[in-house]
Amino acid sequence: MSKTIPPACPEPESGPTYWRSLEQLAGTPEFREWAEREFPEGASELRDDWHRRDFMKLMSASFLLAGLGLTGCRRPVETIHPFAKQPEGYIHGVSKYFATAMPARSSAIPLLVKSHEGRPIKIEGNPEHPLNAALTDEAGHKHGGTNLFAQASILNLYDPDRARRFLFKGQNSSRARACDALAELAKKFTDAQGKGMCVLMERSSSPSRARLQQALTAKFPQARWFIYEPMDGALAGQAAAQAFGQAVRPLYRLDKARRILALDADFMAADDDSYLLIRGFAKGRRLRSADDDMNRLYVVESLMTVTGANADHRLRLPSSQVAPLAMFLTAQMIEAGGQKDTTPGAAEFVSALLEKSKGLPEVARTWAAACAEDLMANAGSVVVLAGERQPLEVHLLAHAMNFYLGRQAGAVSYVADVTPPAGTIVELATALNAGEVETLVMLGGNPAYNAPADLDWPAAQRKAGTVIRLGYFEDETAPQCDWHLPLAHYLESWGDLRTADGTLVPVQPLIEPLFGGLTELEVLARLGGLPVTRPYDIARETFKLAVGDAEFEEKWKRYLHDGFLAGTAAPAVQVEIDWPAITPAVLGLAVPEVPTAQRLEVAFARAYSVDDGRYANNGWLQELPDPVSKITWDNVIALSQKTAQELGVVVVDRNRMDLSVPVLRIAVGNRTIEGPAWIQPGMADGVVGVTLGYGRPRAGRIGRGVGYDAYPIRTSTGMGFASGARLEITNRKFPLSCTQNHWTMQGRPVIREANLEEFRKDPGFANAMNLHEPPGPRGPDGQPKPAYPNPLDTAKLEATHWWGMSVDLNGCVGCSACVIACQSENNIPIVGKEQVNRGREMHWMRIDRYFAGSVAEPQVVNQPMLCQHCEAAPCESVCPVNATVHDNEGLNVMAYNRCVGTRYCSNNCPYKVRRFNFFDYNRRPITELYKSPLVSFTDGEWELKRWFKDRDRGSRPQDEWDLVKLAKNPDVTVRMRGVMEKCTFCLQRIEGAKIAQKIKAGASADVAVPDGTFKTACQQACPADAIVFGNLRDETSRVSKATASQRTYKVLEFLQTKPRVTYQARVRNPNPKMPDYHAQPLTTREYLDAGGTLGHHGDGHAAGYGHDAKGETKGAH
Amino acid sequence: MSDIFPKWTNRLPLQILAGGAVTMASVVAGVWYYFTPEYTRVGYQPIQPVSFSHNIHVDQLGMDCRYCHNGVESSWYSNVPSSSTCMACHNQVLKDDPKLALVRESAASGKPIPWVQIHKTPDYVYFNHAVHVNRGVSCVHCHGQINQMDEVFHAKPLGMAFCLECHRQPEAFLRPPEEVYNLNWRAENPTRQLADGARFVKEWDVKKLENCSACHR
Repeated sequence: MSKTIPPACPEPESGPTYWRSLEQLAGTPEFREWAEREFPEGASELRDDWHRRDFMKLMSASFLLAGLGLTGCRRPVETIHPFAKQPEGYIHGVSKYFATAMPARSSAIPLLVKSHEGRPIKIEGNPEHPLNAALTDEAGHKHGGTNLFAQASILNLYDPDRARRFLFKGQNSSRARACDALAELAKKFTDAQGKGMCVLMERSSSPSRARLQQALTAKFPQARWFIYEPMDGALAGQAAAQAFGQAVRPLYRLDKARRILALDADFMAADDDSYLLIRGFAKGRRLRSADDDMNRLYVVESLMTVTGANADHRLRLPSSQVAPLAMFLTAQMIEAGGQKDTTPGAAEFVSALLEKSKGLPEVARTWAAACAEDLMANAGSVVVLAGERQPLEVHLLAHAMNFYLGRQAGAVSYVADVTPPAGTIVELATALNAGEVETLVMLGGNPAYNAPADLDWPAAQRKAGTVIRLGYFEDETAPQCDWHLPLAHYLESWGDLRTADGTLVPVQPLIEPLFGGLTELEVLARLGGLPVTRPYDIARETFKLAVGDAEFEEKWKRYLHDGFLAGTAAPAVQVEIDWPAITPAVLGLAVPEVPTAQRLEVAFARAYSVDDGRYANNGWLQELPDPVSKITWDNVIALSQKTAQELGVVVVDRNRMDLSVPVLRIAVGNRTIEGPAWIQPGMADGVVGVTLGYGRPRAGRIGRGVGYDAYPIRTSTGMGFASGARLEITNRKFPLSCTQNHWTMQGRPVIREANLEEFRKDPGFANAMNLHEPPGPRGPDGQPKPAYPNPLDTAKLEATHWWGMSVDLNGCVGCSACVIACQSENNIPIVGKEQVNRGREMHWMRIDRYFAGSVAEPQVVNQPMLCQHCEAAPCESVCPVNATVHDNEGLNVMAYNRCVGTRYCSNNCPYKVRRFNFFDYNRRPITELYKSPLVSFTDGEWELKRWFKDRDRGSRPQDEWDLVKLAKNPDVTVRMRGVMEKCTFCLQRIEGAKIAQKIKAGASADVAVPDGTFKTACQQACPADAIVFGNLRDETSRVSKATASQRTYKVLEFLQTKPRVTYQARVRNPNPKMPDYHAQPLTTREYLDAGGTLGHHGDGHAAGYGHDAKGETKGAH
Repeated sequence: MSDIFPKWTNRLPLQILAGGAVTMASVVAGVWYYFTPEYTRVGYQPIQPVSFSHNIHVDQLGMDCRYCHNGVESSWYSNVPSSSTCMACHNQVLKDDPKLALVRESAASGKPIPWVQIHKTPDYVYFNHAVHVNRGVSCVHCHGQINQMDEVFHAKPLGMAFCLECHRQPEAFLRPPEEVYNLNWRAENPTRQLADGARFVKEWDVKKLENCSACHR
């Protein structure tokens, strides 16, 4: 036995400083030195190389790796640093989940967040929350979806470009001094009664914030409060208050609706509660058998949106013309609805509405008449939604229609709105320009970037005496502020929120603020000079007001554990429509002319990926293909084909490697913007679709300068859309990176669809579209015999589980939350625009989007595409090194360490789901992929030398690297250059569940994982609950039942790859009386036109996982 | 015409061939032995900051593994105990022993003791302690007779071949659950082991996990 003598014991380290208390943090000499140091030169600009951020040294994640540099003879000596005192209940290596909630403007998303050794790593929805629990299906399956922003928000926590310091007039300051400054203000304004104090906030549902606002108003009666959201969903609430004469806001239960009408409302993507609305919508379309009923979605819209893509009937209409259409519809309903309103003035109202809607194009009129008839036939279970682009008047009309048609079945209800009053940013700008603002406090927001252009916000802001801002980034607004305080992420904050139904939900931190940020609550409390300033205490005080003193601690614990306070949902309020309030408002609306190519209408939309710009520095979202256009890393100026032709805009996409489009200039009045052109199928003619949230000059190293900025043409009078725009074509070209440029399936039955009547007649229609199998020998069961026996056929008989997935295309709306969830769970890197252009995006799951029919009026279909885990996998037979093989439970697994990167597997994959690491995307910044280590420098050190010292780190700057590592899921290997990867069916979760079950089983044979024990990342994130995963060997499992559906088919089934992923065909529910009715879905039409037939052949309805001895397909039905 | 090559060069090709073969063989043999965990890891015995003896604590005092490594049954990771765990006894026993100075200091200051890691699987291997110890695999199979070690050393190679020995033939290693933490336990004889092991494999539905996915994710 040889003894190795390691170097002397290193000084025991205190471990990472991430989750130490702030007091400790502030006490360390390094911190003090950093905090007090003079403002480093040039650091006020956001540059790529923040070399001098020594602060990160303090943060270096050296635990467990402390001795890495002390290389011994055999291998690096690593040390284990156990706790000096073990926290109670903590077991190293066992992840914990905490219930919290993410703020979503006027609402909140209830969440469960996975914490691994003190750092949050994955976000999931909270299935126990009453809103989610109410949608539990008959079988008792619980589900809580999220949206893609919730999934991606975890990356914001680990964003190296976050505001990390306290700044006073551009100089580094400290938390203590900032707090002193706030205390001084409190004192000053106590004497002045708050005169001259203005607070600008973002919209929030936090009861604590509302309470503090009240407390401050009591103390500073003359202080003024303002709220600004560039994309504000609160308009529906304001309209409701006006329409019903009391402070109420609507609550929609789409699962109870049989007919849904969206008036320019992209409720599936651009709504605070989109996750919930999608869930309800999908539930209303779930078809277990041919007898089930499903809802019907009518959409009127100017742009092509995710909601429009899922419409049964879609009318493309400029946003300005939605108002006359709504008037026409309302008139139809009041007049002919069979429930004639006897209120005085109703008849006059109807005739006035009809008069005002005269300018409506004839096409729209016939469409609306047939739609109105259908809506009235389903009175009682109709929901009408108006979008955020639409003016208040359209929202009033939507409420009027809901009042008539939606209340009885509970699809629409009204709950009390408790938001404290606040002014608008226009009023604030007026006050600023009048010199009335002595101190401006901004809590969040980024008005210098996104305020209406006519306000000239930066100039107005400078007129305030002092500006104090709490911001998440040192962004466009930051340079003009006197004080800039770092905002804590919601995963670092104590607080509370209310979800859509009014239920109180806690916001509890999973980690101490990484950079010592403050929360809104703390800043408000200090500003008001209140005795209680700790956000934790503030949230508890608010909670105490809700539950009282009795058994407070127990209730508090329960509240934090559950993630909500049961029974706090706002009760439904009985409302009566207030015609006198509506009538003049609606009739006073000036309807612009129908736009033309010469007088265009600009419609503003929030970006699907970066929202209003707040997620611009989030790499996952930047690289997410837009659900409609499939463009990454850019926003475009969208035009309909007809308008583009009229204007001479030509977008050639000869091939994907060189997608270069002309740059357009849009002028509204004397304001102009420039951006790349894009022809979007399904756009309304005469409309220019611009996406907000891009083109940020100071977003950070990911988002800086990505896309063009559309805010400069958005004014306070045209927040939704602007009329009278002109368009010019510049002679410049701009490259775009689009992940799916081909629009059609060219008649191939990749996605299968039928209308509801057809489905009822022939529930097995999907398999009627199966192609003939290739000729060749057949086995005893009539199935084609493979050329070679598949070892899995016998191996799987031994397996306890046969993992499989079923995707219900009737539920999937294409929102892409699953894509981000997969990225977060599986450590998928981003690759950058240039690499995406080369087809090197790494997403394991993609959403394929196809258009069918004409470019003007297409039908859209979406299909999540991931590794199909073929039982007879073509990738495996071509791998020369056995790096991709099957396990006996049916997973097509990748052994990364075996992979030598031939990419044969990817070439042989018919589904094109394999992804190759062309570069070490994790270790290199995406801007430096092609840089040789011989000529590059990182943190001021020669790359090669630095690499020699620390081979692990790669060429990322230190601050970036530490945070990149923190964001990774430790249960999944981080892949390096030269290896292939692809969907693993969340192998880590499968193995985790199997191990947990085996531990439970101990000395018994109870090792089968019970159904529903775990979910894959995509399944768990899916707001539509459209993905089912589980054990196909268990006939009672959800996935077995879903797979047994008559709509089940396999993609490219004729290749005999026997995928373990099956799809349930989509069913449309069109109305035969509509002018745009098609007797067959257009994809089916295309299929038939391409020579396809609807004859039944091949295997029957079962998807090929019969439970007979051989595990082969059961015969045809 | 004189000879360009002298006579002895006729034997040269053969000599080169033979020499080459010997060299190759020794290189292969060298790599075979020296580049395996069998050589590179087994026997690794670093000096720890505190001279803790498993022999005294386990064999002489009869402590159970799980008193200190209390996470082993529920986590993939078998934790090294915190200083406070040591102090639970050592604030009574040997409370002024100079060898324990670092432990006392650590418990008082909150600074962890930097134990030197000995057993480690590579990052791409997701070994799980809990599932092994709960299903009849003893500590001794991978860690050796740690109960007899005064200073811990790396006793088994812990390479993939080592793992597969058991994964291919679990019946040769499984033991009654109550004997998992008894590192001195042996089956009466190999036949008995195989018979009992086979019974466990059947009764507990133990699979021969040779899939890549069992350990690599």
